[in-house]
Amino acid sequence: MPRSPGHRDATRSVVFAPLDDGTARAELVARRLSDAIVGGLLRDGERLPSEAELARSLGVALVTARDALESLRDNGMVRTVRGRDGGSFVTYDREAAARTLDARLQGHSRIELRDLSVHLSAIAGTAAELAAERASDDDLESLVGIHEEADLTTEGGARRAVLRFQLEVAAISQSPRLVREEVRLQSEAGPLVWLCLREEEYRERTAVARAKTIAAIREVSPTDARAAILDLIEDATEWLIDEKLRLDAGAARPPGGLR
Amino acid sequence: MTTTVLHTPARAADEVASIIEGLYATVDVWRAELAGHLAAPEQLSAARIDPLVEAFAVPAVTDDPLITGAGFVAAPGLLEDAHWHLAWWLGSPGSGVRRLATVDDETSDQFRDYTALEWWRVPFRTGARHLTGPYVDYLCTDDYTVTLTVPIVADGEFLGVVGCDALVERIESRLLPALSALDAPAAIVNAAGRIVTATDARREPGAILRLAGLTEALAPLRDAHPISVATQLPGGESVRSCGASGLALIVG
Repeated sequence: MPRSPGHRDATRSVVFAPLDDGTARAELVARRLSDAIVGGLLRDGERLPSEAELARSLGVALVTARDALESLRDNGMVRTVRGRDGGSFVTYDREAAARTLDARLQGHSRIELRDLSVHLSAIAGTAAELAAERASDDDLESLVGIHEEADLTTEGGARRAVLRFQLEVAAISQSPRLVREEVRLQSEAGPLVWLCLREEEYRERTAVARAKTIAAIREVSPTDARAAILDLIEDATEWLIDEKLRLDAGAARPPGGLR
Repeated sequence: MTTTVLHTPARAADEVASIIEGLYATVDVWRAELAGHLAAPEQLSAARIDPLVEAFAVPAVTDDPLITGAGFVAAPGLLEDAHWHLAWWLGSPGSGVRRLATVDDETSDQFRDYTALEWWRVPFRTGARHLTGPYVDYLCTDDYTVTLTVPIVADGEFLGVVGCDALVERIESRLLPALSALDAPAAIVNAAGRIVTATDARREPGAILRLAGLTEALAPLRDAHPISVATQLPGGESVRSCGASGLALIVG
């Protein structure tokens, strides 16, 4: 039966909350890398860092990095070559990647997806608001640079542009905490939230949103900057939930039925 | 009887200047040392230069309470074995010293052309030293940082920059006593008007200080060889450059 905990209990539960969400660390590392592969951030054939480098940069034990790479190998996302020119290489299979993401999308409830979007909006929206107040001419120039270099012809290109732009906006907000949270959220939720970039229409929308954000920051209009980013996240979320419902409906049909 | 010792703005500006000048003096020693090696007639390589940089950068980030990053960044093509090259060390209390991991492969997504970044671009254009920031250094440490860079030029050729990072919070703790001793609200801003620190809670570090006439008053600080500024804004606030540090003190 739900019961409202007293104030003291609530604060204590924060203090003694587990330090991570309990998921095994190797699994977290594997998910981070598989998301990057599936989302096109790591390209087919690209060499991954060595186990030791991976362990160091992610701040995990060597054995954790090793386990993560092994599970990626088992899933056919990474191929390891022994010898002098050896190492682990990304093997990207478009179909397998799409299936992985679809399965992840179905694994999330509608409520979880909506909540993810709320969290991302809170961080990215506040970053945009602050950036509008705090951008120098130099900062604006770097945003325009990212906007102009964006490659909208592929899903990976469009996602990299979204990622770089959002990260730069967070940096312009001058808040180290917002930057760290933006990085964490984009790596955790990015591949899912930006699934809509499979479609050209949505890739175009990211460019429109960037142009609006830049204009708002130039005019020192925090409200408009926030709105531009939030509209984009909202569009992406609605696409995502529609897609989830479509997949769920498809899964309920007998095999061989219409998708 | 107690007397409150009040600072004059000129003295506070001098104290700000001396902290930044202290950092530049350290970097200048490194510049002179490296310039000697870089002027040598034989072919230059990262393998030969890196140990020289490490020899000054590691002690600096370990021992200097203000410095959290230090090193040398080579002009593209200067070194025979590394077209793009950063030799930069980072250190903070409790976490030890590490070398900044960089991506030198131009085809990689993680590759960043550092010649487009302010700490490179400005000294390259002006041939003079430059203070970049405060900014969130998300390529490096995620900390709120200022970066001081000094160009190394030999026979008119730009060989690279040598420099250091300092955490804004550590600089702030050194600056605030001087500011608090003034009898009016005071702020330190960079040449773009961005607040480094201020005694007024409503003037947040990182925000752009928007006062009528301030952008124009700070214009000389954005020059290659800044001339000193001591002027009054239409709103009554005084603006005073802090030596040649690239920072200015705003009182009022």
